[in-house]
Amino acid sequence: MKLRILVIVTLVLTLLTPTVLLGQSAKPRGLDPKALTLFHQPADTWPTYNGDYSGRRFSDLSQINQTNIAKLKVAWAYKITGIGPLRGIGNPVIKSTPLMVNGVLYFTIPDHVFAVDARTGKELWRFDFEDHGGHLLGQRGVGMYGNWIYFLTPDGWFISLDSKTGKERWRKKVADEKLQYFTTMSAVIVKNHVLIGVGGDAMDVRGYLEARDPETGEQQWRWWSEPLKMGDPGSETWPNQASMDHGGGMTWLPGTYDPDLNLIFWGTGNTNPVFAGQGRKGANLYTDAIVALNPDTGKLVWYFQASPHDTHDWDNVETPVLFDMIIDGKPRKLLAQAARCGYFFVLDRTNGRYLVSKPFTNTANWSKGIDQRGQPIPDPDKEPKVDGSMVDIPINGATNWPPPSYSPLTHLFYVNASEGYGVAYLYDTSPEPEGYAGGGSGTFDPRSSLIALDVTTGNIKWKHIPKGEGSEGGGISGGILTTAGNLLFTGDSNRLAAFNPADGAILWSQPLNTRVSNGPSTWTLDNQQHIVVAAGDTLYALTLTGE
Amino acid sequence: MLKTSTILLSATSILCLTAALSYINLEPVLAHSQEPDQQTPTRTAPPRNSHDFLGLGPAPDIAAAKLGESIYKENCATCHGPTARGAQGPNLVRSVLVLHDEKGEEIGSVIKNGRPQGGMPAFTNLNDTQIYDIAEYIHLQVELAANRGLYTHSDTITSGNSEKGKTFFAANCATCHSITGDLATIGTRYPQPAAMLARIAWPSTRGPRQATVTTNDGKKLTGTLIHYDDFETTLRTDAGVTSTWSTPTINVDIPDKLAGHRALLPKYTDDDLHNLTRYLMTLK
Repeated sequence: MKLRILVIVTLVLTLLTPTVLLGQSAKPRGLDPKALTLFHQPADTWPTYNGDYSGRRFSDLSQINQTNIAKLKVAWAYKITGIGPLRGIGNPVIKSTPLMVNGVLYFTIPDHVFAVDARTGKELWRFDFEDHGGHLLGQRGVGMYGNWIYFLTPDGWFISLDSKTGKERWRKKVADEKLQYFTTMSAVIVKNHVLIGVGGDAMDVRGYLEARDPETGEQQWRWWSEPLKMGDPGSETWPNQASMDHGGGMTWLPGTYDPDLNLIFWGTGNTNPVFAGQGRKGANLYTDAIVALNPDTGKLVWYFQASPHDTHDWDNVETPVLFDMIIDGKPRKLLAQAARCGYFFVLDRTNGRYLVSKPFTNTANWSKGIDQRGQPIPDPDKEPKVDGSMVDIPINGATNWPPPSYSPLTHLFYVNASEGYGVAYLYDTSPEPEGYAGGGSGTFDPRSSLIALDVTTGNIKWKHIPKGEGSEGGGISGGILTTAGNLLFTGDSNRLAAFNPADGAILWSQPLNTRVSNGPSTWTLDNQQHIVVAAGDTLYALTLTGE
Repeated sequence: MLKTSTILLSATSILCLTAALSYINLEPVLAHSQEPDQQTPTRTAPPRNSHDFLGLGPAPDIAAAKLGESIYKENCATCHGPTARGAQGPNLVRSVLVLHDEKGEEIGSVIKNGRPQGGMPAFTNLNDTQIYDIAEYIHLQVELAANRGLYTHSDTITSGNSEKGKTFFAANCATCHSITGDLATIGTRYPQPAAMLARIAWPSTRGPRQATVTTNDGKKLTGTLIHYDDFETTLRTDAGVTSTWSTPTINVDIPDKLAGHRALLPKYTDDDLHNLTRYLMTLK
């Protein structure tokens, strides 16, 4: 009997502990797997890079809305201190989207992880790593599974940290920086798989995506971006084994996941050698594609190639955004991507069949239209030339890694685009070129823009071209967040700005130290909706009351 | 039944208690203080170059690579190709062993011992310095492929027709430009074809633009745009007076000096650009 009472008392205490003892201050705790959903993540959590598995970056929160946006103010700012210029890069820039779990924000820059109290912006712990190589260009953030944080270093270490303390649990080597691989991704957790992609196109290596065990870090499967050997499906798009072995196709941005279909959707990067196609005639599958894989086995289910035989460095890694919609009376499971090659694609995500395949900036004159599957057909005459070949897409692409957004309220897809013209040059004319083997030059008539695309037609619903040029201020930057408060947040000039998602009117802005450098996110804590955004070395939290 | 459930309950409560203890005991034992300056020594400012940017490891020893070139060509090029990209022997630029080698330690061992199973003989004639020089020559070939910051445009144009360029110029450019006036010596100023092509396509000069601001009470001010974005506009008039407005409250008129160039961009074929480049390069 006594034992029974003790048991009950213990139980009650146990149940009360989190609220009673933890009170209102941030105490790192684990992530409830139930928070990982296709759509509608819990209001008090931002559990993955994109918030939910869909990549829509749409939040159901509406406390902050068009009627009260004028009251949105900076509540706190956390500035990175004590970290000098990064090798070859310069001052730290936060490109990661912070996870927010149980009142703690977890975010990164290359070689460093930060845990910050989401209520106050006070640092709880920091994990510092010293790399031995790799590219320090960016770091998208951490992944989380229960109490564990997963972090990737520039030189290919996959590290598990205790979310409470920031102490390292173990590290595993997942990519060889000596072959010029580097890892920047925010790991995606699907069931008991930690999904990791890689970057690195300086030395003509194969891209891959792998799944690792969240407890041990051991590899579960690895999917290669090219067929393994001649004769395998897709190998007919390569001239020989060597070209496949050195074909590139990096997987450096987080993909998306549909639990009902049990499929992950991933973008693959540019083909190698980058600007020279003469040694790899053919479409070069599965580089520059969207691939649907089984997350338990890593087996390919379908693919859609955005930039067949890419010779312009047009990594197709941009988020494949998942959304459901009724079209012609039928509920459809769809996937949309605004691709670096300048095309906007809407696909049926059950099978990869296209509904929309259309340029979203200029004419995408590197292509001669689309094939039966909706894939662009590259124009051989627009491949890089020794004397230059001009395309009506900037050399860095029509868009890049900053996350886009889809709002189920407007049925519009929002992307921050780059418009203009660039010239692609071929430097290495040998039959078997290596590395980049060419390059881009010139940015003619350049401008940034925020574009809203109708997902049923690919037509532009509205476009905002910011005033000013780079030297005067001006310019859209960072990623996009849409909310049920009928707001769209993104960077404009050195500010965080809120737009009307229906027509692109600017409703509000907040000056920051510099340009927005990540994708804004939102969550509720103590009944207060927060907007979190990074600009350079500083992370800002905004609320309706402000300071 | 009751007993079983009690036991189960106990087991659950122990699990919960363990979890609760971990909350209590492992609460932020802060691994770092709130002043991270003291936690991480400030790194010395690195040089900003493409080798460091790409994280390409130790830079090749250029002097040694120069010495190594002739030794390589004499001993290695027959099988591995003149620039180490492979012939009947393997490509060394993409070799995992080469990429893992830092200063000849791995490469040296292969040169000294050969690879009998792969048909490569041991090169016992080469001393350690020569081996190091060969290794650096190979590393330089890797660097030349991997470090795109070292790539350069061609100094000569391989295509284009000057006569066709002249015709295109007369039809599309001559209203604003003159080959005896503003462009008389353009070929001297842009002797490099890619630079000339860029100048033809988009001759923007960076720096502040001139603008006329019309305020909502109808006042007009002309001067230099110091700042201009969707939110704020700052103009310095020629008299040196600086004013700032909320952008939506004013009208800003910026003369578009590049309208003609903008209109041509969608019309050019690559041949047009190459023809024009070749033609304007003759104006010296």
